[in-house]
Amino acid sequence: MDELYLDNIDEYVNDQDKIVTYKWLSLTLGVHVNTAKQMLFHYLDHRRKESSAQLHATYLVSGKCVDNGQASHKVSVIKEDKLEDFKSKMSLIVSVHVYSVQKALLKDSGPLYSVDYDAVKDNMKNCSKYSAIRCAGAVPVSSVEQTRAIQRAPSPEPESKRSAVNGSAHPAPKPSTKPQKGIMGMFASKTSSKNQDDGKDVKSEQKEEAPVDDAPKSKPAVKANPMMNFFGSQAAKKPEKTVKQEEAPPSSSSVEQKRPQPEEEEQQQQQAAVVKPKPKDTQKESRSKTKRVEESDSEDDKMDKKKRRRIKKPVSDSSDEDVIPDSPQQMETREPSPSPKKEIKAVSHSRQRDAEMKTRKRRRVLKSRTFLDEEGCMVTEKGYESESYSETEDDFQAAKPAPKHPVPAKRPASKPDEKKSQKKNSANANKGSKQASIMGFFQKK
Amino acid sequence: MTTLTRQDLNFGQVVADILCEFLEVAIHLILYVREVYPSGIFQKRKKYNVPVQMSCHPELNQYIQDTLHCVKPLIEKNDAEKVVVVIMDKEHHPVERFVFEMSQPPLLSISSDTLLSHVEQLLRAFILKISVCDAVLNNNPPGCSFSVLVHTRDAATRNMEKVQVIKDFPWIVADEQEAHMQEPRLIPLKTMTSDIVKMQLYVEERAQKT
Repeated sequence: MDELYLDNIDEYVNDQDKIVTYKWLSLTLGVHVNTAKQMLFHYLDHRRKESSAQLHATYLVSGKCVDNGQASHKVSVIKEDKLEDFKSKMSLIVSVHVYSVQKALLKDSGPLYSVDYDAVKDNMKNCSKYSAIRCAGAVPVSSVEQTRAIQRAPSPEPESKRSAVNGSAHPAPKPSTKPQKGIMGMFASKTSSKNQDDGKDVKSEQKEEAPVDDAPKSKPAVKANPMMNFFGSQAAKKPEKTVKQEEAPPSSSSVEQKRPQPEEEEQQQQQAAVVKPKPKDTQKESRSKTKRVEESDSEDDKMDKKKRRRIKKPVSDSSDEDVIPDSPQQMETREPSPSPKKEIKAVSHSRQRDAEMKTRKRRRVLKSRTFLDEEGCMVTEKGYESESYSETEDDFQAAKPAPKHPVPAKRPASKPDEKKSQKKNSANANKGSKQASIMGFFQKK
Repeated sequence: MTTLTRQDLNFGQVVADILCEFLEVAIHLILYVREVYPSGIFQKRKKYNVPVQMSCHPELNQYIQDTLHCVKPLIEKNDAEKVVVVIMDKEHHPVERFVFEMSQPPLLSISSDTLLSHVEQLLRAFILKISVCDAVLNNNPPGCSFSVLVHTRDAATRNMEKVQVIKDFPWIVADEQEAHMQEPRLIPLKTMTSDIVKMQLYVEERAQKT
């Protein structure tokens, strides 16, 4: 081994003021980690003998120690001055080696991590090329197997009672992430498992529609915070519809029952509304619709102020509230399934109602719900909710799905939240029935 | 991938957001590394995927946030030439000045998926450099305080004085004593060039600190 490495390290440490860790050195010079450790040691030795250079070093100590009667194996990065002290505390020292060399006295270990971060990131594929840790069984999965694994994973989740049209777009949440922004889509698909825990998502149905259907976008009633995309339209787990229906009653009853009274009233109203002949229905509904739209707008402004501040990516939010009207395709295959609700009564009611009105259909709408989480922070989540609406798209019963919104929040919070979500439902659906307004994008800034 | 131009208000806001977040982290880190405040008030947090030290003291945090909130409109319009973090000794003579010089290209359209991760990487390098600036700087005397100065282009400050961006948080023209340092030594720390901003960080240090 020639002595050039000494000059190299010298340059890094003294001229460039870098923190030279053994891992970084091995990746930079392309040597095995043990060689890098030895290099650092020699360099340190050399410099200290030559001149009293202001060099600081950290060491990695690994060994067994007895802590309160419990034997444990400890691996620590220690500053040089504390090295001897630490070594004496250990009962058995397995290894000691130089971790890093730098000119500055480090106050904490943060920069040590930062140094390695970029180096490892650049060499992701072969960051363990020079490593001393080997496992024969650990072989990277080939790309073919990877795609197979991905396809296997979501297939049991979504219900597959769709028509063949939908079936073709089946694989994975991946296609439906396309409408999302690049980075946000990545987050959304990763946290899809989070949504599974959400009670609501159990009941919603996933739509494997191609981005084509996103074209008639509804005016975003609530401009999505980029954070909302974390919980984005990736309600991944979609059990069978029938299973869902059975699940709905038990889970809905387990969810806190808020305002049983007003809900019942509302349902009665809806029932009455449904029973009435259609034209009358339209009239009444349109009236209530407009009222709700106004209310929802004011609420949306409130929501804006409560949003957390996030770094805004240059790609602006483009697909916030998507109403995906796929009713014609689903007519054949879908039974009307109730959206999540709290009352068991409501389930039976809705079933009856849907059976009566042959023209009623269900569609899945991306809605956002706001609630207070454990820390008292307002969180807005987006999820697909199924709503029923009539074929003509004029008659929309906003009230019907609204009370069925399970609110997974604290008691005090759920009341206002439910109201808000009700109104948002109507607002979204209303806008979905009309041409998407371009001003919707510029509403929330 | 959308292309954004400088005219796009969104773009200016985005860049200002990024820079202000970075400046906030940098200021906290400078306060930690230069021991302006006792290290007990600092807590490890994560930014750009690396650990950084941020203070937990609410008033200090509020002060820094308000400061940067006022600076942001200047950055948006590319009026802020330099943002300087001045560390002063007990007599309010500047001892060290961390100067962030920034400039944004006037007309630029960016269309790159990796732009932000590239910028993140560059900002990470800045953070790392601040962490090790101890090596090149002498120790500060005890009892230091800090303040933030902004050098602007043209007459942008007139607007600032007219319109108080934050209530009860006025900006005043810095006096000569604070702006000028005796016998400064210039130590460059880091430069970065990216599509959205060019930034340089250097430290001016007084030759004799105590």
